[in-house]
Amino acid sequence: MVQQLGPSERDRARAFIEAEGLAYEDGFDDLLGAYEHGVLVGVGARRGSVLKMIAIAPSHQGGAALGQIVTELVRLGTVAGRDAFFVFTRPDHVPSFEALGFALLASQRRAALLELGDGLRRWLAASRPLVREGENGAVVVNCNPFTRGHRHLIEEASRRVEALYVFVVREDRSAFPFAARRRLVEEGTADLRNVHVLDTSHYAVSAITFPAYFLKQTDDVAAIQMELDVRLFGRHVAPFFHVRRRFIGSEPFCATTRAYNETMRRVLPSLGVEPIEVERLGASGEAISASRVRDALRSGEVGRLEALVPPTTLRYLRSPDAAEVRARLAARQERHA
Amino acid sequence: MRIAKRAQAGTLQSSDLMVLVEPATLLVVEIESTVKAQFEHLIRERILQVLDANGVTAGRVRVTDRGALDYAIQARVETALQRSAET
Repeated sequence: MVQQLGPSERDRARAFIEAEGLAYEDGFDDLLGAYEHGVLVGVGARRGSVLKMIAIAPSHQGGAALGQIVTELVRLGTVAGRDAFFVFTRPDHVPSFEALGFALLASQRRAALLELGDGLRRWLAASRPLVREGENGAVVVNCNPFTRGHRHLIEEASRRVEALYVFVVREDRSAFPFAARRRLVEEGTADLRNVHVLDTSHYAVSAITFPAYFLKQTDDVAAIQMELDVRLFGRHVAPFFHVRRRFIGSEPFCATTRAYNETMRRVLPSLGVEPIEVERLGASGEAISASRVRDALRSGEVGRLEALVPPTTLRYLRSPDAAEVRARLAARQERHA
Repeated sequence: MRIAKRAQAGTLQSSDLMVLVEPATLLVVEIESTVKAQFEHLIRERILQVLDANGVTAGRVRVTDRGALDYAIQARVETALQRSAET
């Protein structure tokens, strides 16, 4: 019998999860336990579309408990409006999830990502009208918000390929909402004929949703998450769009982005994609970045904006549409927020 | 019968299937199965029969099958349809 575990049962769930060599992570929409004759034999949790902390007692592995827990998590997620589900797990657990109908999206030495619901194929199929034959390129950007630096990167890249695909990160946890971020990219590149703007859908492995429960404390969680993301892109997204080159901005000051660029240089060539670093555009001696734009908004120095963003973005930043974002920025301090 | 809202039936257990139905303008049936290569056409035929018998002409039906037998397919699709019609 599978049931929701309330606050009083959390400690039992935690002990169970830790006994299986996993780490308990707070932050979930559902936490379920599978009971047999009153004994807890398995647990599993869901946060949004991500299923995590799935653990089955050794005595019950290979039995029905895994299917029962996953079924119930998927049912609850569906009721909550989700229609794609993902599992991050250890590579040796991949076959158990494949047997339940999950498909492997990406894996590396310590971690694997699987999906239920065939969403990747459906997402790619829906993007088919944009696919052009040829030597194409891609950039993946958050554009929080779109700056002159993004414009420079995209323009440079568009000159070196036949079609350039600009993937805007879909994950909606940035200061600027996804719809606004995407629209500003579209407006800011509308004159570039071979540029196609689309979004990453669920197929960017975000640092925000990446669960680390199955990793060791000594593992470099960020490096593993980045490698999964880059492998997913290189194995599934790039071949579909005939992407042979991925363009990245050089990174003078953000350690996270720099590590990402290093991961791409290490992983992408073996997947047939050449990573190309494009020198950042500067403004008054400093590289332009979206975080400088947010800083300027936060401190109310609107005079600095014109050097940092193109007219399309500037118009938006001054409009009432952006009032909410300006207010939110004033209350937040993190770099990638 | 009309698919008025999103609904689900079934499980991911062996010999069962999970059915998700939701409103759509056209009739679309998507099948994932551990025995897809051998039996997709038979699974599809069975699902279409059930949809037809219930007068369903539009909606998206997604099935994750783990080798379910005919009667299980029929029962799970019917249950999903009933749930999708309830208000």
